[in-house]
Amino acid sequence: MPAEALSFRERAQLVIQREVGRLLSPLWVSLVVAAMRFGMGWRIEGLAEARRAYRELWRGSPHGVIVCANHLTMVDSFVIAWALAPAWWYVLHYRSLQWNTPEQENFARTFGMRAAIYVAKCIPVRRGGDRREVGRVLARITWLLSRGEAGLMFPEGGRSRSGRVDAGASTYGVGRIVRALPGLRVLCVYLRGDGQETWSDAPAPGERFRVRVEPLEPKSDHGGLRGSLEVSRQILAKLGEMEREHFDARR
Amino acid sequence: MERKEIFEKVVKILTPHVKNQAALASVSDSTHILDDLKVNSARLVDVVLAFEDEFDIEIPDEDVDSVNTVGDCVRLVAEKLG
Repeated sequence: MPAEALSFRERAQLVIQREVGRLLSPLWVSLVVAAMRFGMGWRIEGLAEARRAYRELWRGSPHGVIVCANHLTMVDSFVIAWALAPAWWYVLHYRSLQWNTPEQENFARTFGMRAAIYVAKCIPVRRGGDRREVGRVLARITWLLSRGEAGLMFPEGGRSRSGRVDAGASTYGVGRIVRALPGLRVLCVYLRGDGQETWSDAPAPGERFRVRVEPLEPKSDHGGLRGSLEVSRQILAKLGEMEREHFDARR
Repeated sequence: MERKEIFEKVVKILTPHVKNQAALASVSDSTHILDDLKVNSARLVDVVLAFEDEFDIEIPDEDVDSVNTVGDCVRLVAEKLG
């Protein structure tokens, strides 16, 4: 579904959601970062370079940025957001805080959870659910990015069950968004904790992450679904390459 | 191409991706691809690409959103074949 197919009501709902989150952002963004840093004791190596790359990409892009990352835990999106900019930056440049599409089963079970993810720029999706509903979520994200917002997607479509980037698992959603928005900037992010052998619900307390970032300009000569899938696969191939560099650097 | 022929080819393409093989015995237009046949949602893309190759058609991204049942696949392919 093209982004322009969104109804006025759907667009208004997204604008309201964004504004509610923005007004509360000095509180909730700071709290989330503090919880990760001081509550969980997490640290990230490569922070300065990742933040510089994100800022440069952000400033040079009138069409928004889509962050594509590997996926190991249910809180990856929070850690990645923290890795890409400090809390104050997001409060001042709220558009640069990425929209997410968390799995509905995991994050929208209770009213409290739904309220929290509403504020935190999330649009829940039921993976493997009705294709029309999934399509509407993609259309919402596409519309938001077309307005200069940032988004975060996991091209594998779920947490890596092997613990490694699965190049064969690519879904077409990311490619579909990228192809729908010429000029959209793509930033590949590989984030992994030293203690993360495989996927899990959350990283261990005291985890030390390493982050790598690389801009990418995926292209495809194909149209339709084949073109979207090819773009998604190029992004996943880049993440696989970054994973190899991650492990090579640790030898 | 006859609708029946399209249906048979669609089922043949789906078969390698079906986890619930028992459901294939009673497959019909209303059979849900993900819920009944237990095809992995990520593999749905491969299935649609196989339709493109088999029937020599191009399926736009947004048309994939309308694919939930075997009947949806048959209708989509029939539409593209004109």
